[in-house]
Amino acid sequence: MGTTQILFWFLTALALLGAIMVLVSKNPVHSVLWLIVVFFAISGHYILLNAQFLAIVNLIVYAGAIMVLFLFVIMLMNLNAETEPQKSIWMKFFGVATGGLLLSFFISFIVSSIDLKNKTAQLKEGDVGLIKNLGKVLFSDYVIPFEIASILFLSAMVGAVVIGKKD
Amino acid sequence: MDSLQLQALLPFIVLASASVVIILLIAARQSHTVIQITGFLMMCLVVLAMWYVRDVLPRAIMPLLVVDGMAAVFTGLIVFCVLIIGLFSFIYFEEREENPKEYYILIFLGTLGAAVLTISRHFISVFIGLELLSISLYALIAYLRNRNNAVEAGMKYLVLAAMSSAFLLFGMALIYMDTGSMDFDGIAKQLQTQGHSPALFVTGIGLMMVAVCFKLALVPFHLWAADVYQGAPVPVTNFIATVSKIGVFAVLVRFAQAVQLQSYHFAVIIISFVAIVSMVGGNLLAIKQQNIKRLLAYSSIAHLGYLLVAFLPGNAAGIEAGMFYLFAYSITLLAAFGIVTMLSGRQADADQLEAYRGLYWRNPLMGAILTVALLSLAGIPLTAGFIGKFAVLNAGVQQQLWLPVIVLVITSVIGLYYYLRIISTLFAETQVIFPKEKSLHPLFVAGTYGALLVLLILLLGAGIFPSAVIDGIKNFLCQGFRIINF
Repeated sequence: MGTTQILFWFLTALALLGAIMVLVSKNPVHSVLWLIVVFFAISGHYILLNAQFLAIVNLIVYAGAIMVLFLFVIMLMNLNAETEPQKSIWMKFFGVATGGLLLSFFISFIVSSIDLKNKTAQLKEGDVGLIKNLGKVLFSDYVIPFEIASILFLSAMVGAVVIGKKD
Repeated sequence: MDSLQLQALLPFIVLASASVVIILLIAARQSHTVIQITGFLMMCLVVLAMWYVRDVLPRAIMPLLVVDGMAAVFTGLIVFCVLIIGLFSFIYFEEREENPKEYYILIFLGTLGAAVLTISRHFISVFIGLELLSISLYALIAYLRNRNNAVEAGMKYLVLAAMSSAFLLFGMALIYMDTGSMDFDGIAKQLQTQGHSPALFVTGIGLMMVAVCFKLALVPFHLWAADVYQGAPVPVTNFIATVSKIGVFAVLVRFAQAVQLQSYHFAVIIISFVAIVSMVGGNLLAIKQQNIKRLLAYSSIAHLGYLLVAFLPGNAAGIEAGMFYLFAYSITLLAAFGIVTMLSGRQADADQLEAYRGLYWRNPLMGAILTVALLSLAGIPLTAGFIGKFAVLNAGVQQQLWLPVIVLVITSVIGLYYYLRIISTLFAETQVIFPKEKSLHPLFVAGTYGALLVLLILLLGAGIFPSAVIDGIKNFLCQGFRIINF
C-alpha cells in the first residue's frame, strides 16, 4: 500500500466521519465546524487527483467564504435546543426513507455498472485540473460562458446594491 | 472563434452592452427619460443586429452555443416583449418615488439570460443563462421594497428558484455521469450507442424536469406563481410571464429535439401528467380569484399546460404549434398586463377586480383592448389565442394524444367562465368616481397607447390572417433544420 493509497483511505474516512458528525451534532456551530473538516478532506482528494485549482477554490470559497456566512447566520439566529421546534417523527421517517432510497439507488447503480468496473481514478498523470490547462480551456473554448458569467456577477451586484440601498 | 461566429453573436453582444450603457448613463446622472429612450433605442439596435446577421445563420459556436432559425424566432419574441415591457415600465415607475433607473440594467441582464437560453446546446450555457435570468429576477421582484408583498415575493422566489437550480444541477450531473457528455448532441449520440436501459438518464431527466416545471410554473411546482405575480411590480410580472417562460421553453424544445425525449415512454407519461394537472389545476384555482394579477398567474399555469400538449408530439408540427401558441400567449399577456400597468396608481397596483368595474365606459380604448386580450386568452375565434389553441389541438389530434386533448377542451370551457366574468365587470355600470389620470409627458402616453394598439392589431391580425405568422415561423424553422443536414 503506497502513500497515496494510505492518504486516500485516511481522507475518505475523515470525510465520512465529518459528514456523520455534521448530522449528529446537537450544536449547529459544531455542525458547521465539522462541515469544514469535510471540505478539507474533499480538497485533499482533489489534490490526490492532481486537480490543484479545484482544491484551492474549494477551500477558499466553501471552507472560507461560505462557512463564515453560515456561522454568521447561525450566530445571528441564536439557535439553541430549547427554542428549536421539534420535528415530528413522521418527518424524520420520510426524510430517512427518501434519503435511503436515493443512496440505495446510487449504490445499486455503481455496483451494477459495467462502465465503472475495474477503473481507477487517474492519480498523478491526470492533468485536466492543472491551472495552466484550465486557463487555456477557459479562455479558448469556453470564453463566451466565461464572459456571460462575468455579466452574471454584474447582475448579482446590481441587484444587491438596489435591494440593500438606504433611503 | 472566427469572425462569422462573432457576427452571429452580434445581437447578444449588443444586448449585453445595453446594460453597460445604462450603467454609464446612471453614473453620468442622466434622467429617467434619457435612460428610457436609450434603452428603447438599444433594443431597436438588437433587432437591427438580428436583421443584419440573418444571412450568417445558422451557425454553431462550438461547443456551447448554436444560433439558428429557432433561436432567432425565440430571441426575436423575447426582444419584442422587452421592447413593449420597457415602454410600459416608464409610466409605471415614473409616478413612483423610488429611483427606477437600476431597473433597466436588471431587465436587460435578465433578457440576456433568456436569450442565452434560446441559443444553448450545452448544459453549461443552459445553467449560466438560467442563473443570469433568475438572479436578475430576484432583484426585480423585490424592486419596490417598501411595498408590502414585494420583499416576501422576492424571498419566496429566491429560495424556491435556488432549490430548483440545485435539482437542475443534480440532474445534469447524473446525465453527465451516465453519458460522459454535457453537449446535447453528444448525449444523444451516447444514448444511441448505449444498449442498456439508462437508469441514471431517467433519474437525471426527472430531476431536470422539476427545475423546468418550476420555471414554467407548472403544477405541482406552481406554488410560487400567484404570490410572486402579485408581489412583483406589474412590468416585472409581465417579464416573468413572458420572457422567462419563452427562454425556458426554448431550451426544453432544443434539448428534447436533440435527445428525442418524446421517444422515451417515461418522459411522455411525466409530461402528459404535468400538462393535464396544470390545465385542470390552473383553471380551477383561477375561478374564485378576485385579484387580477393572481388570476392571470393561475391562467398562465393553465396556458403553459396547453403549451406542453403541443410539446408532447415532438415533431415539426408540434414545435410550430408550440411556437405560435407562445407568440399568441405572449402578445396577449403583454396587452393584458399593459392595461393593468396603465391603471395602476401611485400607491398600489390596480389588481383588485373592483378597479375594473365599468372600465369600458370610462376609457373605451383600454376596455376594448383588455376585452380582446381576455377573449384571446379564452381562445375565442378571430383572436390569436384561438388559432394558437387550434394549432395545439391539431398537433395533439394528429398524434392521437386523446387524453391531453380532451382535458384541454374541457378546461378551456372552464377557463371561459372566469375570463367572461372579468369582461362582464368591464361593461358593468359604475357610480364610483375614479381619480383623474396623472399628468405624464404626452409623448410617453402616446407611445404607450401606440404599443397597446400595436398589440391589439397583432392579436386580431394573427387571429384573422394566421398564415403570415405560421409561414414566418416555418421559414425560420427550416433554417434551423438545415443545420442537422450539414
